[in-house]
Amino acid sequence: MATFEFKMPDVGEGIHEGEVVKLYVKEGDHVEEFDTFAEIQTDKAVVEIPAPVTGKVKELRIKEGEVALVGSVIAVFDADGADAAEAQSTAEASKEEVQPAPAQPEKTEGAAPKAVSIEKRRQILAMPSVRKLARQLGIDITQVQGTGKNGRITAEDVEAFAKDGQVAETVEPKEKPAEVTKAAPVSPRPITEKTPIVSVGTEERMPLKGIRRTIAKRMAESKYTAPHVTVMDEFDASELIAWRKWGKEHAADRDVKLTYLPFIIKASIVAVREFPMFNASIDDEKEEIVIKRYYHMGVATATDQGLMVPVIKDADQKTIFELADEILDKAIRAREMKLAPDELRGSTFTITNIGSFGGTFFTPIINYPEVAILGVGTIKEKPVVVDGEIVVRPLMYLSLSFDHRLIDGDVAARFLTRVKQLLENPKLLMLEMR
Amino acid sequence: MVVGDFAKEVDVLVIGAGPGGYVAAIRAAQLGRHVTIVDKDTLGGVCLNRGCIPSKALISASERYQQIKASAEIGIELTGEVQVNMPKLMSWKNAVVDKLTGGVKQLLKGNKVEVLSGEAYFSGTNTVRIATEKSSQTYEFKDCIIATGSRPAELPILPFDGKRILSSTEALNLQEVPERLLVVGGGYIGLELGTAYAKLGSQVTILEGSKQLLPGTDPALTRIVTRKLKKLGVTVLTDAMVQEGEVQGDQVTVRATVKGTSQEFTGDYCLVAVGRKPNTDELGLEAIGVQLDERGFISIDQQCRTSVKHIYAIGDCAGGDLLAHKASYEGKVAAEAICGQPSAIDFQAMPYVIFSDPEIAYTGLTEAEAKAEGYTPVVSRFAFQANGRALSMDNADGYVQLVADQETKRVLGAQMVGPDVSSLIGEVVLAIEMGASAEDIALTIHAHPTLPEVVMEAAEGILGNAIHMVNKKK
Repeated sequence: MATFEFKMPDVGEGIHEGEVVKLYVKEGDHVEEFDTFAEIQTDKAVVEIPAPVTGKVKELRIKEGEVALVGSVIAVFDADGADAAEAQSTAEASKEEVQPAPAQPEKTEGAAPKAVSIEKRRQILAMPSVRKLARQLGIDITQVQGTGKNGRITAEDVEAFAKDGQVAETVEPKEKPAEVTKAAPVSPRPITEKTPIVSVGTEERMPLKGIRRTIAKRMAESKYTAPHVTVMDEFDASELIAWRKWGKEHAADRDVKLTYLPFIIKASIVAVREFPMFNASIDDEKEEIVIKRYYHMGVATATDQGLMVPVIKDADQKTIFELADEILDKAIRAREMKLAPDELRGSTFTITNIGSFGGTFFTPIINYPEVAILGVGTIKEKPVVVDGEIVVRPLMYLSLSFDHRLIDGDVAARFLTRVKQLLENPKLLMLEMR
Repeated sequence: MVVGDFAKEVDVLVIGAGPGGYVAAIRAAQLGRHVTIVDKDTLGGVCLNRGCIPSKALISASERYQQIKASAEIGIELTGEVQVNMPKLMSWKNAVVDKLTGGVKQLLKGNKVEVLSGEAYFSGTNTVRIATEKSSQTYEFKDCIIATGSRPAELPILPFDGKRILSSTEALNLQEVPERLLVVGGGYIGLELGTAYAKLGSQVTILEGSKQLLPGTDPALTRIVTRKLKKLGVTVLTDAMVQEGEVQGDQVTVRATVKGTSQEFTGDYCLVAVGRKPNTDELGLEAIGVQLDERGFISIDQQCRTSVKHIYAIGDCAGGDLLAHKASYEGKVAAEAICGQPSAIDFQAMPYVIFSDPEIAYTGLTEAEAKAEGYTPVVSRFAFQANGRALSMDNADGYVQLVADQETKRVLGAQMVGPDVSSLIGEVVLAIEMGASAEDIALTIHAHPTLPEVVMEAAEGILGNAIHMVNKKK
């Protein structure tokens, strides 16, 4: 038995603190190493941190809702066995592993630069077909632990490595040679040489961290997981404009700022109820489709830090005034970074409105694991044909991205047509109110 | 672009139809691309027309002649004269070449590769002008593979004249057996052709500038070859620096400093084989930003991509080992990379073969190289003298030597000299690629009586239990 002080780990976001959203253990509990210990909210990402050792939780120094600093002791364990100290030291040592480069003289005749020297390649014990498999799976084979005799890497090892999601971030084929600018004096320089980070006046470098890093991760995850298709349509917004204008005055009496968004939310909910697949998600692990009977609307909101998506819970049960109020409140608090983690989670369908910044059609990225997102563009006066005559009408533009794994194009087109119909004839929307 | 010059659009353009280019073209076509290949000469490149294939034909013919003359000792007696008919020999050699180039043409056609003739010059990063004597045409490509190969390097003091001072190209087309042949350069080309002509009856003198025949090759391997050259009456002079040369009528005279003293050599012909240089100087590469190294070879990455991302280079013009099989390998990598596959130059062992007498072949690490890379090597050598097949072929000079890691017995390399070792090396290359141990080779049944048994015995030697030799005590 040894006492182990668990320090708040750097969750890899370049942050200094995180809010404890949920504790999975209490004092006196016995935990296994790698069991979930707590959920920590950083900026807008929620990170699960695992228990560092197997043993008894002797003391908890954090509570749910508190902010913990990286490096501060958040718990004390009575660790089983004597491996506690090791656990601490190995975690540090592994960071410092340095591959000594073999100091071999070039022996090839033409001496063309190659990314991986033959000496390095020879240290890998794997058949050519296995090495090819690793390239196909985007895996750096040098990272794979071989289970065969003398550390031989088998096809199974590579596949297992790929399954664990430990796909190396930089795979060989992505290593493209540097572009050569046309006027630059061409000096023979090895293509694959690592360019040191230098600021040359025309470019600036900064770490990818915080919200931006989370956005980058989430966007890539969504785009690479869900096959996106976007359908687009426009509608005559004359009546919607008139209705909102009329409602605006009444809203002002109540101190409410009425925008178009509540109407769009309401129309979306009507359509989502009729097409339940739009309020679903795929449980990849269990290979099940989850259809939700609650309607939490995500509202994409621009902040100085980047995109955030506050959630309007049970939007179907709220009035247009209530929605307008809540949207405004959450947008303000999002910009002030004052939203509670809970207010940023659990949406079932998301609306993104770029209309106030201009722009008509676009291809929004789904707020994964949701399966659809409705993009709203600006309102513009355009010539349209009504009863054979060209007339000027204010048009509003809709772009619906959906996850084609779950939703087919015909369904999406019908969904969008329904939204459009409801917004073009707000009286219809009135009839569908609950 | 000239007014009225409309670019024709092509998908993948391959420049050069040698063993790198035509292989790349076929692979890209197999993967669904529309491929156009251009060569300024005959299909097949140096390898088929002026290198590997014709030289091997010449070597085989000279060897056959030598064997017939020496057959009395195995009980085959000649009653008449054996004569060499050079023009006939050359036309047989040409027929071999034609058969192969015809095969390449058929393969390209069968894969729907369009074949163009002419010289290519890059007029932009996406365009080349292809010029023939009569016309020129601009082509716009999406991706390009440069496979223009290399050519014999010239000595300024002995410039090729195509008549008496020859490059390997002309030396493969002589219509007579020279009485006296001078060979400048004791690398594999000079050695192979020098040996062939010596067997056909020439008096051959090889002048090599370095201290060793076949510079860069394990000296132990060359010893047996040098002995055989002596038997053939070939004079080999190392440390011989050519100072000047002169053609007088039907003779060439070369003056060289041999180990410090000046000597004069006279021959009917002088073959200059002092290396090769890349065909990259007349393509307009600098102007479009394709980087070359200081020796003119195109710099490429692991996927054979040059500094211009949709232009690839393979084979001799991209440097490294100037070998046809390396060009073909890279051709496949480049073609697959162009088609979006994650292929890469990723081999563990390159085979090197020299068609000397006897043949030399090696791959992977020598004992010294293995030590330098941090292995504790164990070495085993098995002689062809103890192999039934080699003796029954009357060709039992030489040995097979394996290098393995002491601890794991993993095969690291092989050095071979002897009959048909150019074929035997294949087994060891496969073993290295598979990460096989000496035990894996030893446990593989090798047919008896054959030459490959020698590889098996050498592998057992690594384990200390070869049957047909007394193993060293540990």
